[in-house]
Amino acid sequence: MSTSPRKPPAPGAIVAGGAVLLLIAIVGIVLLSPAGSALYPPPPATAQAREISQLYDIIFAIAVVVFLVVEGLIVWSIFRYRRRPGDTDLPPQTHGNNLVEALWTLIPTVLVIFMFAISWQTLDHVDAVSADPDVHINALAGQFQWQFQYLDKDGNVLATQRRAVGDGGGMAVPVAKSVYVTLESRDVIHAWYVPRFLFKRDVVPGQQNHFEFKVDEAEAGQTFHGQCAELCGTGHRAMLFDVVAMAPADYDAWLAKLVEAANATPPPAPSGAAVIDLAAQAIAYDKKTLDAPADAPFVIAFKNGDPETITHDVDIKGADGAVIANQEPIAGGTTGQYQYQPLAAGTYQFFCSIHPGVAAMEGTLTVK
Amino acid sequence: MATHALSPAAVPAYRGGIYEWLTTTDHKKIGIMYVINSFLFFLVGGMFALLVRTELAQPGIQFFTNEHVYNESFSIHATVMIFLFIIPMLAGLGNYAVPLMIGAPDMAFPRINALSFWMLPLGGILLLMGFLVPGGAAAAGWTSYPPLSERGALSSPGAGQDLWIVALILIGTSSILGGINFLVTIFKMRAPGMTLFRMPIMVWTILVTSVLVVMATPVITSALVMLFIDRNYGGSFFNPETGGTAVLYQNVFWFYSHPAVYVMVLPAMGVISEVLPVFSRKPLFGYKAFIFATAGIGALGFSVWAHHMFTTGAVFLPFFALMTFFIAVPTGVKMFNWVFTMFRGQLTFSTPLIFAIGFLTMFLIGGINGAFSAAVPVDFALHDTYWVVAHLHYVLFGGSVFGVFAGLYYWFPKMTGRMLDEGLGKVHFALMFIGFNLTFFPMHMLGIKGMPRRIADYASTAGWNDWNLLATVGGFLIGISMLPFIWNVFVSLRNGKVAGDDPWEGNTLEWATSSPPPPYNFDRLPEIRSERPLFDARHGLVAHDTNAPREVEDGQKAIGAGPGEGREGQA
Repeated sequence: MSTSPRKPPAPGAIVAGGAVLLLIAIVGIVLLSPAGSALYPPPPATAQAREISQLYDIIFAIAVVVFLVVEGLIVWSIFRYRRRPGDTDLPPQTHGNNLVEALWTLIPTVLVIFMFAISWQTLDHVDAVSADPDVHINALAGQFQWQFQYLDKDGNVLATQRRAVGDGGGMAVPVAKSVYVTLESRDVIHAWYVPRFLFKRDVVPGQQNHFEFKVDEAEAGQTFHGQCAELCGTGHRAMLFDVVAMAPADYDAWLAKLVEAANATPPPAPSGAAVIDLAAQAIAYDKKTLDAPADAPFVIAFKNGDPETITHDVDIKGADGAVIANQEPIAGGTTGQYQYQPLAAGTYQFFCSIHPGVAAMEGTLTVK
Repeated sequence: MATHALSPAAVPAYRGGIYEWLTTTDHKKIGIMYVINSFLFFLVGGMFALLVRTELAQPGIQFFTNEHVYNESFSIHATVMIFLFIIPMLAGLGNYAVPLMIGAPDMAFPRINALSFWMLPLGGILLLMGFLVPGGAAAAGWTSYPPLSERGALSSPGAGQDLWIVALILIGTSSILGGINFLVTIFKMRAPGMTLFRMPIMVWTILVTSVLVVMATPVITSALVMLFIDRNYGGSFFNPETGGTAVLYQNVFWFYSHPAVYVMVLPAMGVISEVLPVFSRKPLFGYKAFIFATAGIGALGFSVWAHHMFTTGAVFLPFFALMTFFIAVPTGVKMFNWVFTMFRGQLTFSTPLIFAIGFLTMFLIGGINGAFSAAVPVDFALHDTYWVVAHLHYVLFGGSVFGVFAGLYYWFPKMTGRMLDEGLGKVHFALMFIGFNLTFFPMHMLGIKGMPRRIADYASTAGWNDWNLLATVGGFLIGISMLPFIWNVFVSLRNGKVAGDDPWEGNTLEWATSSPPPPYNFDRLPEIRSERPLFDARHGLVAHDTNAPREVEDGQKAIGAGPGEGREGQA
């Protein structure tokens, strides 16, 4: 031990020690602040998510202890063992210590085996699939949107929800029922990710992935935001979807309505209405401007020239941004006759509600 | 032409100026060129990072009206940082230091050494030329997963992706040549007395790194060639539409790219394992354990690649989870070795040590937050979110890049004969450390709250606004922190304090020769009886261990991993 008198630490020690202390302080503030939830997962919404959240808590506790012990040792060494002016003799030339070295090999080994064991256990529950799930949904991912096909027990498609977000959109699921989801992509890899489910799974073309979840009963009426988590191209950030949790009765009614709408024949276009042609391909309209007559109903004959998984529609917004016409999206390779109510003369915007913010899927509608 | 090319008498005088630098086969000049070239690409890659951070500072698209350019920016940022900055920067430090540290006159194959350097700027220029071709540079991420990286209207139609492939194959070839060169140099050109277990840790880490490079790089080259064939000659390796398998690419890609993480971090560990003992005036605690831990990390590194693919639904999860957890053990051993090297030492807080301490504190976080992702169900939540961005930057920036700067401050006197300014060095560290943590710590919060990577925009209602703004401010602070460093280099080159042979009281052989060293490095070498030959020369072998007279008879034992050698005597 050095006997030289205590001196204030060297500037370098203050920089280094201050830096480490700062780091500990940042982590501490984040942990202890009222917003301390910042480092915790969002409230889990499914039975599976709750297990993942519990696993997270355990690993988090271990992490905090390891962090504090090691950073503490570093800070201690920095302030305690700086070289003082009188230190001409060498410090003890310690080359090692078998006992401590064995300990800091063994203890971490036990710790990681423990963490592995509990995560394997959780994995078993999270990955479990019931033999006869209550609901089967096929989530069809395409650049850059989601469609949700509701299947019956035999795997036949009952109806497809083509509107993934917003009013009347989203993947509706009943609470407290097992929901089995298959994932399908026909273009690039996407990922189905809902933060409050603490879960994501890749949607890989040429391979069918699946998983199951059960939304907590208390979550009925909630909407959970989800989005694609695997880079899928230019519109990646716009590939959003909602999961809408409903009481089972509400869900049944919702599904019945979707099935009814799917089987209904669209009303014929009113005779004499102006018909405007519009097509989309490669996530771009072929026209940037359209003209329509004022104060008369009109029809847009819309051709979606993209692959089947890519849906589009043609909605209309007023100058104030309010949506005036909200059409159902159609799948790629199909055509639709969209009917619109009479509009007053003026300038409007037409756009694809499936691809919001994609400049090539917007244009100006002049009504005169 | 002399018969003995390495004999000092046969050394031709250096040619003047630029011609000498362009044609040199001197490992020191090549090493310095590696460093300069890598640093320039660091600035390029950093610029792209700042563009990305500018866009993400606030919700809404403000900056990249063409979002494709956003995707190009983060793809090129990562590609440049990994393949043109960190890997070659560390290879450059190794190139400079390894022959000096083992008492060799040069690398084993000096001309191949020059070749592997010159492939790097060529590869970098090819990569960046993507911005000049129709369709722009590669935009499918640095991972370039097919089918997104295949040719197609909505995937990667332009030649930028092909340039990316060709550039990476070139850089990979450079790595392989460099790796072989290091292996032969280390195994065949050590000075008399320099047994394997007397080699500096830096040399050991370069040795293990070179094994990884030589074994793994050909594998990614094969993936890249297959992707190139898919794109240009109608192959069907990875495209499910024509019978390929999308996930196959990921397996092959990560079989290289996970060991590549260790290629990016082991030499930086080597650097700080040189810095910590010198500035603590103590030997590295547990020298042999450290070497076995390094080799263990290298070996385990080949069995964990699929932890990047936990959410693909196509890997055997328990095996890769267990192996991934196991990597924490040797890494933890190293962490304790470093901390206990400082413990009971006499620390001098020169800039290299401060950067090494920066490495310790932040690499620790990078290790701990990695454990979350190793727990498979937790990874289901964290994968491809900003949590992973935080994790990888704490490892590769908080770890490797701080290690790189520790090395640059440590060896600058040897490279140039002049000291860098200590005050500016500390300003550099403080700005970079604060900037780094402001940028990347909030990314944990963003990730756990659900912000995915690689998105150009986010909803203002998602609750991510503040953390993103903070991260952007931090990013610019990192950018600013480079100014004192660059200023320091220019000022010190002209006016810096003259370093002398051994300004730090170093342990290893590079400090036994002049600064900068002459061509072919050494006129004479000190006796090599331990892993600290210069320490022995300064203090005598007896001082090497407080109460171990027997190492005089057996230098091998003095290294210290043997049981109970004089360890209790100091209390």
